[in-house]
Formats: sequence, structure tokens, C-alpha cells
Amino acid sequence: MTLLHRRLAALLSGVIVLALLGRAVAFPVDGDKTVLPVATELNEDALDKPREVFQSERTGAKSYLVNLGDLAFNSPGLLGEVARQAGVSCGTCHVNGANNARFFMPKMSSRPGTFDTTGPLFNPKANNLAFDPVRIPSLRGARYLAPYGADGRFASLRDFVHNVITNEFAGPEPSPATLDAIVAYIHDVDFLPNPSLGPAGRLAGKITEAEHRGEALFAKPFPHDPALSCAGCHVPSSGFVDHQQHDVGSGGLFKTPTLRNADFNAPYFHDGRFDSYNQVVDYFDRTFQLDLSAQDKGDLVAYLTAVGDGVQPYERDGAGATLKEINDFSTVLATAIPAGDKDIVALAVDTIGRELRELTEQYPDRKNTSVSGGEQQRVLARNGLKELVLTLRRIEMAVAAGRNADAATELRNYRNLMAAAVPSLLASAEPWSLFNQDVHDRHYAALRQVMRSRHISR
Amino acid sequence: MHKMRVAACLALLAASAGVRAANAGALEDGAERYRPYLIEGVASALEGARALRERAAAADLPGAKKAWLSARAGWERSEVFTAGFVPELDAQIDAWPNADSGFHAIEAKLFGAGNTDVAADATGLVEHLNDLHGKLKDITLTPQGLLDGTVRLAYEVGESKADGGESRISGTSLDDMRNNIAGIDFAYHTIFSTALNTVDGKLDEMVTNRIEQLEAIVATPDLRHVNIADLRQTSEELVIALQSASAKLGLQRPTLEAQAR
Repeated sequence: MTLLHRRLAALLSGVIVLALLGRAVAFPVDGDKTVLPVATELNEDALDKPREVFQSERTGAKSYLVNLGDLAFNSPGLLGEVARQAGVSCGTCHVNGANNARFFMPKMSSRPGTFDTTGPLFNPKANNLAFDPVRIPSLRGARYLAPYGADGRFASLRDFVHNVITNEFAGPEPSPATLDAIVAYIHDVDFLPNPSLGPAGRLAGKITEAEHRGEALFAKPFPHDPALSCAGCHVPSSGFVDHQQHDVGSGGLFKTPTLRNADFNAPYFHDGRFDSYNQVVDYFDRTFQLDLSAQDKGDLVAYLTAVGDGVQPYERDGAGATLKEINDFSTVLATAIPAGDKDIVALAVDTIGRELRELTEQYPDRKNTSVSGGEQQRVLARNGLKELVLTLRRIEMAVAAGRNADAATELRNYRNLMAAAVPSLLASAEPWSLFNQDVHDRHYAALRQVMRSRHISR
Repeated sequence: MHKMRVAACLALLAASAGVRAANAGALEDGAERYRPYLIEGVASALEGARALRERAAAADLPGAKKAWLSARAGWERSEVFTAGFVPELDAQIDAWPNADSGFHAIEAKLFGAGNTDVAADATGLVEHLNDLHGKLKDITLTPQGLLDGTVRLAYEVGESKADGGESRISGTSLDDMRNNIAGIDFAYHTIFSTALNTVDGKLDEMVTNRIEQLEAIVATPDLRHVNIADLRQTSEELVIALQSASAKLGLQRPTLEAQAR
């Protein structure tokens, strides 16, 4: 396949993904008995999830520390009482290490994809009494992107993570091992590969004329201040960052964001004020009096799009993807059980059990009006997943009582179920599950219809 | 060696048959003691449904809502029985999210749209409940079926309510849980506790303790204050304890989903 073909294929896949995302039926949190503000959109029902690429998987398997970090990252128990009640974890905003562009929480978000880390909900003590949401960043390639925080006030990722947990979310003091694990996980989340980027961040292969011109413009000194250029801050040979904070007239000093995989990182700027590269380029043109022509702007956008691309940015959610993640999480138990590490076992059982319960709900029970058929398959799928949840709980109970050998036996049972029986049951039930687009849409349309009646009357 | 193994297996079988025989009568007696509670719960649901039909006909929205809540409470208390013994009826009466009939269809109109145009649905509900109520005095209540229902409900109680739960429009999901747990408590202590206590007092104590913990967890002013993690953990520990109890009582391991045995 030539590069052009690959790019066309990538473009088409992007269009398909966008079409699918457009079709996906978002369903916000509703009702007046919930912990989160009504109309919070977590986008958890999306059928297309950002693809997660791990550095370590290129050369071998993920380490215990990375898997433990991934587990903790997806544990609502880490972020304090409100988050625990609401089922919110780091992974809620940073889905698979990427950004959740649809996340929206009334009073905490100014627009989708933003969040006020100093707002009133999760830690009232950290409330700065200002409504100042920042965009939720992707964590892909974070190991190359110090300093941390939108304003770059943390040189160390470990310090930044600690601050998020204990200050922004009022979570309990994490153990040093947990902090190390989360940092290891974030360090392992890599950029999506981009075949258009060659050595030193130069465009490579067959590039279009517009991209080529855009690359030249990107490096060209600004007419009114020759010391500045786009590439001066977004250094192509350095992951398109300079590790510095700058004031570009947007309201203060903010760190230079990377442009790698940025096609999938909208909204842009520290507060997420812009939806597109066109708006960003217009802003710089105005603010720095660049005198760009329409073609110049188009060329810059073409260049940014080429730099910001990535292979297969989304992957279809399904039982297979969920089970793979759960299997990765479960590897932690193989180390924690023999060590009798009650805290890690409890964390794993809580997080994996929650994931399994959520997976169970993807297979509607027979009371659900959105799906007909496959009743026996759904029953067996639900039953298998519930058995897994209970097996995990037995593991926790055994370790808590010091019966590590019993826990090891239960772990073998769990692995046996996960090896073949449960995947097979889930595959059989998939046509009647919420992983099926039609069933998914019917289910959420039904929920929306019911909840709409509630709002019409108020 | 082979003969010894066979003999050991036979001895085990005989012992287990002994357990079954010893417990069977006690459990069946317990199931019969459960019957009046069940009849009372369904009668209460029926009474609520009748009141609902009447209040809706009078266009009395507050009265209809109150009656719906009363009917709902009776139904939720009986769920140990309904999911396992009358699954078709259960699916009809308790269907969601946008059911054409049953509790949630009426809930959407009363609590959602705020209108009392539920005459047909209320009549249907009355008929279903009346039909069920008429059958209850003769229906065979097996200890196995009631244990299955208890276990399934115990697991269900631990499901996340972060989104507002099953009855999110009426905001009564917490009441649903309380009634479910009350149903579990009554079924366990009426049917199984004494028999289990004779063979394994510690296990009986563990089941009782977990039920009490669940009751304490849902004794909060509202759903927001229910400790979701504790609720899930306790529900799962209760299920595990009841699964262990099944063997001690000479019953089969309970199923986690309603299905024909």
C-alpha cells in the first residue's frame, strides 16, 4: 500500500469513525438522586473508544507496575468519596489514556472536554471560587511532555499525579507504590504511530503541496517578531513541545501542548475554547499579526493535520476489548496473592468487579424492552460474568483472612473461566448485547424517551 | 485403593443424602411459613394497584403517585419469589426502560409526564396482580426456588445506583433496595436460618450479619449517601455465604440468573 493509499485509508477510517461517533447515542446522567450533577455526560456508552498503545508491548509484555498503575488509574476508589460514589476514576476523563472530548459536567465544565480542577464538587477545600475549567488533555506520550498541568507548574509527573489525587479530588494519600505504578502506566501510554512523521519530526513520505508549504510556514519567523515562530515553541524534533510556558494572549502562562496526535485532542487551548485547527490558526494570525493569506491558513491546517494524525485512533468497543483490559488488570493478582498484599488485592477486586458488573449490563436482562431474542444466550453471558465477580470476591475474602492458598485456587478458577468459557458465552450473546449498534441505539433511545417525559413535565 | 475411594464416595453421598433428608422437611415447612408473607406482599401490591386505578380515574395525581408507591413496595418485597416462580409475569410487570405496561410504564406517566392517563395500564396491573394473588395459596413453593430468588436478589442489590437506579423517575430506587433487602431478610430467616444453624452456626451468623449490614447501608436519608462500594462488597459476600449454605442445606448451588432448572 502506498503512502497515499494509506492516507486515503486513514482519512476514510477517520470519516467512518466520525460517522460512528455522530451516530453514537450519548446518554447523560439523569434523575435527581445521583451524586453527579444532572446532565453530566460521561460518554461511557460510546461504542468507539480511543485506542491505547503501550510502549512496553512493542518489545514484550506490560510489567506488573504498569498493569497495577492502569488498574489504579481506572479505580474510583483512588479519587476520594465523591468520585467513589459516582464511579468516577482518572480513566473517566482520560479514556484509555486519551482525552474524553465529550465529558461534560454542569458547573464543572464550560464546554464538552473541559473540567474545573479547582471547582466545588470533588474537593470543596480546593475550590478557588472561580469558574476556570481547563481542557482535559490526552496523556499519550506524556513521558516526553514535562512540565505537567495546563500551566506547567509541576516539573514531576509524580508530583502532578499526587496533587490530582489528594488536592483536586480529596482522595486518600496514595501509597508510594501506587503513585509509582500510576506514573509507570502514564509513562507507558505512547503516541499513536504516525507514518507521516519522519526523523526530527519532519514530514516524510509522499506529502502534499499544501502540507509541504505548511511545514515551511510553520518554521518561518513571525513578521513582526522574527525571534518567534510556530516551530520555535512546537519544536518538531522534540515532540512538538519546548517544555516551556508561554503567554500567547489567552489569559496567562500556559505550557506548550504537543501537536502529535492532536487531530484527536480537540478542543484546543488551555480552556478548550477552540474546536478546530482553523480557529487556532485564525487566532494566531490575529494575535501575532502574521498576515496569513487564505492559502497560508489552509496550508498550516493541512500541515497540522498531517502532524497530528495517528494510525487507528479509535477501536470498536466490545466484549473482546473489555476482557483484554480486565485480563491485564487481573495479572496483578498473580503477584499480589502470594505476597498476601491485602490492599492491592482489594483494589483489584473492587476495580475488576466493577468492570465486570458494567460488562454484565451490556447483556440486557429479559425485563429490558429494547431487545428481543437471544434470551438464553444473554442469561448465560450474565451468569458467567456474575460467577467471575463472585470468584474475585472469594479471592479477596480469602486473602483478607490470610488464606492465600485458597485465594490462589480461586484465581485458577477465575483464569479457567476467563480463558475460554466466558469469552465464548459473551461471543454467543453479542448479537443481542449493547455492543450491537442497533440494540445499543434502541436501548438508549428508550431511556432517552422515558427521561424526556420527565423533563417535559418540569 | 480403588474400592476405598468408591466406598468413601458412597459414604459422602449417603451423608449428603442424609443432610438433604434431614433438612428437606424443615425447609419445606419454612417455605410454607413464607407463603403468608408472600401473599401479604402481593395483596399489598394489588391493593395499591387498585387504589392507583381509582385515583387515576379521579385525575388525582398526588393520590395516584402515593398508590403507585404502595403497590411498588409490596411488589419489591415479593421479588424473592416473583423472579423465579413467575418469570413471565415478572418481565411483564417490571419491564423497563420504555415498557408499554407495568410499573415503569405507569411510573413514566405519573412521575415523568405528570399525568394520570394510566387507566389501561393500571387496569392491566390490577389484573396481573389479581391473577397472581389468586394462585399463591396453591402454588408450590420449593426451597430451592426461594433460595435461587434470594441469591439473585442479593446480587442485584449490589448493582450500581450511581445513575439513579431502576426507579430513577420516581426517585424510589432506595425504597426498592430497602424492600428487596426486607424480602431477603424475611425469606432467609423464615426458611433457611434455623436449618443452616443446626449444621453450620458460623455460616448462619455470617449470612445474618451481611443482611444486617445491607440494612444498615441503605438506612441513609437518600440514595446519594448509600456507600456504593460497601453495598456491592456486602451483597457479594452475602451471595457467597448463601452459595456455601446451599450445599450445607442439601440444595443445589443457586443460579445467578432466572432460568428453568
